[in-house]
Amino acid sequence: MSKNHTWPEDGRGRVPFWVYTDPQVYREEIDKIWYGPHWLYVGLECEIPNVGDFKTTTLGERPVIMVRSGVDEITVVENRCAHRGLKFCQERFGNRQDLLCPYHQWAYSLRGDLIGVPFRRGVKKQGGMPADFDPSANGLHRLRVEEANGVVWATFSDETPSFREYLGERFWKHYTRVYDGRKLEVLGYNRQRIPGNWKLMQENIKDPYHAGLLHVFFVTFGLFRADQKSAVDIDDLGRHGILISRKGEKEQNEVTADMRQFKSDLVLNDPRILDVVQEFTGEETVGMITIFPSVILQQQVNSLTTRQIVPSGPGAFDFHWTHWTYADDSSEMKQRRTRQANLFGPAGFVSADDGEVIEFSQQGFSPSEDEAALVTMGGREIECTDHMVTETAIRGMYDYWRKVMGYA
Amino acid sequence: MHEAMECQGAAGAGLLNSREAIRDLFDDYYATLDAVDLEAWPNFFTEDCVYRVISRENYERGFSLATIGAESRGMLMDRVTGLRTTQVYAPRYYRRFAGPLKIGRGADGAVPVEHNLLLVQTLIDKQSEIILSARCYDSVVEVDGRLALERRDVVFDSEMIPNSLIYPA
Ligand code: FES
Ligand SMILES: [Fe+2]
Repeated sequence: MSKNHTWPEDGRGRVPFWVYTDPQVYREEIDKIWYGPHWLYVGLECEIPNVGDFKTTTLGERPVIMVRSGVDEITVVENRCAHRGLKFCQERFGNRQDLLCPYHQWAYSLRGDLIGVPFRRGVKKQGGMPADFDPSANGLHRLRVEEANGVVWATFSDETPSFREYLGERFWKHYTRVYDGRKLEVLGYNRQRIPGNWKLMQENIKDPYHAGLLHVFFVTFGLFRADQKSAVDIDDLGRHGILISRKGEKEQNEVTADMRQFKSDLVLNDPRILDVVQEFTGEETVGMITIFPSVILQQQVNSLTTRQIVPSGPGAFDFHWTHWTYADDSSEMKQRRTRQANLFGPAGFVSADDGEVIEFSQQGFSPSEDEAALVTMGGREIECTDHMVTETAIRGMYDYWRKVMGYA
Repeated sequence: MHEAMECQGAAGAGLLNSREAIRDLFDDYYATLDAVDLEAWPNFFTEDCVYRVISRENYERGFSLATIGAESRGMLMDRVTGLRTTQVYAPRYYRRFAGPLKIGRGADGAVPVEHNLLLVQTLIDKQSEIILSARCYDSVVEVDGRLALERRDVVFDSEMIPNSLIYPA
């Protein structure tokens, strides 16, 4: 543990700022959380449909390659040559018969096994690798992989339980409500670098309190409001969360009276962005899942997105959005999802707000490491609730974080 | 006499044949946005315009997702409403640097225009940074005696956006 940080007195009610700013705490997080017993989001199975198709991404801080190594097999290897450590694959997507490092042309199979070392036996009896060189011990580092209904997950740890167990049965149910086994198709990507600690993104989506206040657009058009029937569910360890809500109508009442920014006279010139259809069973229109630590699975009306978090030092993270649709959706539905994407991403009517306030948060923490944030909305308990006026899911995440990181 | 003939020529063949008129259109467009005269911005477009700020990877791979996408002038007006009344963001200046226009041959009463665009953002107390490095693909038409954009694709190479893209390109 670094700098003898101690957790504030008011245990669950406070989060000290050093969790967002201390480089050593960040390093420990990378090792204990990102490379620890947790499943990390890698991508969608439909991004690599054919054998040899690959996608590169970053898990924690490590570059990896997700490749279809067989018709029904996906391999995730670290993008680091076993010879001299190059991040040898530089493309974002592509198709290859094998994985080749350009420096000295070591070749790896799609499963990451070393299959070719030029001049291994030397040239004209000179040079070459030593006789005891064992190619089978010099492959690419392969991660454990699970595919769950179209989403590919990987983990660096042997300790991690199965993905379903990692979610827990309640969250498996939330997950399969949207990822129900139907084939997915990519609508496109958005990428942004947010200058704030990676946990702030998790917190943001675990925080229904802000959604009904900061996001005037949501509230004005009834997409997410404090008076709508809603719920917060947390897994048994406190690390995963879901915000569930029901879309309402545009109306004024005691709740909007508390919102200084509520705009009752606002109308859209072209309301097609709000042309929402109910597509999942039940009355819920919003299900925002945070899977600790790497991803947010968004179902906001008809907008379906994975939002991958890639940490980059204590003060920044990259945020990769993959918008998708069901492959068998009508073209009208695909267009509807594409249109609603205007609410989200770096220029989203709603999400741009989040990127901004996360940057403001980091600006507040950095110079005041020993101060702490209050997270007592809804009390000090960690429990599932049937309302939005709570920070319970943030408390849950830090309860888990402290256990993993060793801050009693 | 000479002036009058030119004038007549322009009116007869339409503004679309005037490279100068097309240049003026883009000069006005960027001056309007740099001045943050957002309310005037949608007027540069036709009623049922298509406007997209889209990453190069989405554009080249044929993905429909745009970082900003609008299918009508009304949607552009709604963008302005969002920026003016509902969104929260730190104060900033945007300045747009457009490269030379490549004006193509018009067909069906529309002239294709391409050019590079650099969009530079300056936040208070921060150094300036590039928010978009892009190539713009526009389609210019004449409506009611003036030029307007019926389609504009701003295709940006700079796919990792520094936090938020607030104002339009
Ligand atoms: S570093 Fe990759 S082959 Fe030498
Ligand atoms: Fe938010």
